[in-house]
Amino acid sequence: MAVRPVLALPDPFLQRPSATVGPIDAAALALAADLLDTMRSRPACVGLAAPQIGVGLRAFAIDVTGHRKARSCAGELVLFDPVLVSASRPVMGREGCLSIPDLTGDVARATEVVVRGVGVDGTQRELEADTFEARALLHELDHLDGFLFLDRVASPHAVYRRKVYR
Amino acid sequence: MHFAVTAVGADRPGIVAGVTGAFVEHGCNLEDSSMTILRGQFAMMLVVDAPAGVGAGELEAALAGPAADLDLVVTVRQAAEPPEVEPDIESWTVSVYGADHPGIVHGIAALLAERSVNIVDLSTRVVGTSDRPVYTMVLQVTLPPEGDPHQLQADLEAKAGELGVTCRLHPSEADIL
Repeated sequence: MAVRPVLALPDPFLQRPSATVGPIDAAALALAADLLDTMRSRPACVGLAAPQIGVGLRAFAIDVTGHRKARSCAGELVLFDPVLVSASRPVMGREGCLSIPDLTGDVARATEVVVRGVGVDGTQRELEADTFEARALLHELDHLDGFLFLDRVASPHAVYRRKVYR
Repeated sequence: MHFAVTAVGADRPGIVAGVTGAFVEHGCNLEDSSMTILRGQFAMMLVVDAPAGVGAGELEAALAGPAADLDLVVTVRQAAEPPEVEPDIESWTVSVYGADHPGIVHGIAALLAERSVNIVDLSTRVVGTSDRPVYTMVLQVTLPPEGDPHQLQADLEAKAGELGVTCRLHPSEADIL
């Protein structure tokens, strides 16, 4: 268990699609612990995907607890091999990313999603999420396919410089 | 009569007021404009509608005062009359990013030009650190009638590979929402 360095642009690892995790073993659990430790170490972080810490596996941690824009909240969790079951009602919203610390951007994302994956206990779980949590899930799912919010920004004027990550 | 006007100079308060004041004095209507600061240079691009009898020469003369006062380079050029209604063409957004080096914009733009893809908007930002700068560029483009977005995506990816950057195409959000 450790806080791991977070890869940032232009690291090409962030553009690589990640591989399936498969059965949850000790290595997968260690990855989950690192994702949680690293996510918790960053106060503004609501999600972190394995490729962001240099691991090319389909896993992410999310936790939107207490976020002012969140409505649904499944709490802190790690999901392995997640798949998007359904997505609807796209709405434009601002996103940031630990891997793109200098910029934010407006991205249209579904506000109602169902995501299925495997939890740390090895069982299948299905999350129904809306608004901010749905956005966070879609953002993390994108990381597993090698996509960043910059790949989805609405227009040339939908990218903004930020001074402080918060 | 419409005129395309540009003015560029080191940023300071009063540039917009100075330039637009010259238009007001000559009864010109400001039809459309985009203005921004690029590394301390304030850049204005405008299309103005001038009344009959006011030509490029009159506008240039009117702008000479503020240009001198504010140390601006000004150009005035007669513009074709704009279409009554802008054609509703599907647009696409292209995102490009990677380690900064000369030639990224040209490489992507040349490929788009070869395929008759029109760039209608473009914005770039350099981020990262001084020893590891990262270039980011977002373009809005329209495809020719025969254009195939899947082929364009493949061609852009190949070009991006040569340039050592990432390049991705997606439909502009206005078309989704």
